Amino acid sequence: MPGIILAVDDSASMRQMVRFTLEHAGYEVVQATDGVEALDYAKTSGVDLVLADVNMPNMDGITLCKELRGLSHYKGIPILMLTTESAPETKSRGKQAGATGWIVKPFNPEQLLATIAKVL
Amino acid sequence: MHAEPKSNHNAVRNLADDWTPERETALLLDLCEAQLEAAVRDSDQSVDSLVRAFTDLADASRSITELAKQLTVQQSSTANATELNHCAQDISQLINNAVVAFQFYDKLAQRLGHVRHSLTTLALFVCDRTQAQQRGHWEKLLTSLRRLYRTQEERAVFDLVSEGAKAETVRAAVVGDTLHTASGGIELF
Repeated sequence: MPGIILAVDDSASMRQMVRFTLEHAGYEVVQATDGVEALDYAKTSGVDLVLADVNMPNMDGITLCKELRGLSHYKGIPILMLTTESAPETKSRGKQAGATGWIVKPFNPEQLLATIAKVL
Repeated sequence: MHAEPKSNHNAVRNLADDWTPERETALLLDLCEAQLEAAVRDSDQSVDSLVRAFTDLADASRSITELAKQLTVQQSSTANATELNHCAQDISQLINNAVVAFQFYDKLAQRLGHVRHSLTTLALFVCDRTQAQQRGHWEKLLTSLRRLYRTQEERAVFDLVSEGAKAETVRAAVVGDTLHTASGGIELF
């Protein structure tokens, strides 16, 4: 079993595309609709990788990344941001928050899977 | 059977006695925002159904591909089996292309969200006559609205418009961006 991935996105269609792509590659996918929901899950459960959108209501992806890095069991977990944002300053904020990588939407399924395999 | 509400689409709406150009402008901006909101809400439901139908179809196609792989050596040496495997490979590529294409909606919804926010902000701004007549306040408004646009394409359009580019130039830039948008980049830190 390749592992468990926490996919965080406020868009239902994006969550479905991510889940579809990852499940067909053998990953188990846990979904959250925003940073707050993802963090609540992460406080009690571990995953092998987090794939998070940046712009979300309640808690954005960069704040989520910072919060996750504060949890002892998430310090070394790869966190990939999956977002439409490509501005260097936002990427830089993501890097400072502890993100492992930055993927600009729309994602290509083969490239996404190759990137995940690389960081896991 | 219920009666249709009486309305005359050709009637000229009478403005209130205390109308002002600012208030009417704000009203029309609010109207645009409301129309966009309604369109996005309708589309959300349709896209959700479409995505579900697509994932079910793709699941079924993948099951066929798996079955094709399980053909015996004898069976798989026939011309039909070769054709079946070619079809399966084509389907797999088409599914990948569709996954990329489906993500258009997320981007569209986000961009329309920014437009809606801009319209609401502008409606509030123009209603405040003191504020709307000061150059400095317009500059602040433009700066805050630019911050809202987060993709490179959005910012490029915003900059072209605020620099006074002609509508044709802006349209050409938008078309160029659309043609060049395939999948996005990946960067590992």
